[in-house]
Amino acid sequence: MRSIILNEITKTWSYKTFRVIILLHFILFFLVVLVTSRLNITIPGISTDNLYYFPNIWEFFPWIASWFNLLLAILIIVMTGNEFTYRTFRQHVVDGFSRSDLLKGKAFMILMIAIYSFLMVLLFSLIFGFIFTPDYSDGAFISKSYILLVYFVQAVAYMSFGFLLAVVFRNTALAIVLFFLYRLIIEPVIRLFFPARLRQFFPIKVISNLTPTPEFLAISSGNQDVGNGPGSLNLREIGILAEDLPVYLNLLLAIGYTSIFIGLAYMLLKKRNL
Amino acid sequence: MEKVLEISNLSKSYGLITAVNNLSLEVATGDVFGILGPNGSGKTTTLSVISGIIAADTGSYKWFGSEPNASLRKNIGSLIEVPNFYPYLSLYKNLVIAARIKDKPLGDIERVLKLVNLWERKASRFDTLSLGMKQRLALGNVLLGDPSILVLDEPANGLDPEGIAEVREIILRERENKKTIIMASHILDEVEKVCSHVVILKNGQSLAMGRVHELLSADDPVIVSCREAEKLKEEIVRSGLSESVEKDGDELVIVLKKGKGARDINEFAFSKGIVLVHLETRKQSLESQFLELVK
Repeated sequence: MRSIILNEITKTWSYKTFRVIILLHFILFFLVVLVTSRLNITIPGISTDNLYYFPNIWEFFPWIASWFNLLLAILIIVMTGNEFTYRTFRQHVVDGFSRSDLLKGKAFMILMIAIYSFLMVLLFSLIFGFIFTPDYSDGAFISKSYILLVYFVQAVAYMSFGFLLAVVFRNTALAIVLFFLYRLIIEPVIRLFFPARLRQFFPIKVISNLTPTPEFLAISSGNQDVGNGPGSLNLREIGILAEDLPVYLNLLLAIGYTSIFIGLAYMLLKKRNL
Repeated sequence: MEKVLEISNLSKSYGLITAVNNLSLEVATGDVFGILGPNGSGKTTTLSVISGIIAADTGSYKWFGSEPNASLRKNIGSLIEVPNFYPYLSLYKNLVIAARIKDKPLGDIERVLKLVNLWERKASRFDTLSLGMKQRLALGNVLLGDPSILVLDEPANGLDPEGIAEVREIILRERENKKTIIMASHILDEVEKVCSHVVILKNGQSLAMGRVHELLSADDPVIVSCREAEKLKEEIVRSGLSESVEKDGDELVIVLKKGKGARDINEFAFSKGIVLVHLETRKQSLESQFLELVK
């Protein structure tokens, strides 16, 4: 396992595209949270500053970070696609790796990138949260922080899906195009043919629902109970937002789908000629 | 001699094309085993199967009598088709990756890079190398950890005459070191000079297999010249000594039956009262043998 890890580190750190995409990911996230934090829209009863307060920031920042999961998935597709283009997967097997070693290497990279992204969101959440939150003495900053772990699972799930497509098509460009097509067109169109309660179970829907759009109106108005309290406005009940699955169920399904993606990729790696 | 590799009834098809058809062969310790054949004869497919990158449809193979596995491959130096390395990494880093996979000490990288004359270029990116240098790096990778078995698929591919000579020198040196070498090649002269055993493939099937000198001497024709060539030809045909007799000017070109030699022809001619002016056994080259077989 040590040689697998060291090799992945050697390959990725020396790869300029990897460094550029990771830097781009970091800068884009930083710019978005910085710019939105400067847009202080305050009208009576509503302030966007509330988005940066603990515990709301635990919802808001992972949601913003989830936009950039696509970049992380592209990174995994590029790195896996390279192994086929350069025929290095083939060489590794000739040199003495098993097919499962190939999978372990990429699984390690997926975890490392997800950990980096998790730490990045954690860091910015803490910095912005402590700057903006007027009073965090009641321990409010800890509640909802579990969403960060949910975000971690989401990042792993997206990258695993990208990895599967790269293994299926063995072609970086094709896998990236298919990734976008599936996420933006194919699955949403297929979902339309199913009843609303079943639509929540499709893989991309499950994964993207892990970090749902924060209820801006509720948060900005400072009413944490909007959608929960008596007589409150529930955007899902009135049909503006679709009914979501409970977080724990979404999480289990996402983990299940991730296992399927990795399992399928392994099956293909094992069965196909390299 | 211990069996290093045993291939039994191996077959592999790509769609309707049969690349390897029921191939069986054995390689013993210390053999330099050449695999010869025209393009598409199944040489690379055979080596790819025994290197673990392609699965056979039927049949099996064993290394040292054991079922093939990844850890066995760590001790076999293989070069299959073209050199496969990360283009953006230096030569040294590419070999670091290979050494880690093979569980070999990183200290050995210097030795092999010097062996293939690339030590000075160790910091260069792989994609800046010429084709010949890439091939030499691939050979360096094969020699990492000093494996006892080398599997080489067209090792002189793309090399200039100087490069070919260097590769030949490396292979000969490894042969001197009692390494077992399995080598596919198009360069028949090379195989003839380097290999102890050879198999000739066509359409994935073995046409001939055995020790190189035995294969070459099997059909060596005997050349005879005498005043009564026509009479001698008739007598030889009648006697059943030969597979074939052809008249070429004043000479007869005789392919004898197995176990017969030039001495038998001399004695036969003498017994018939025919005086031979010239008698010689013409050695066949592997090339002529190969061309005859794959015709």
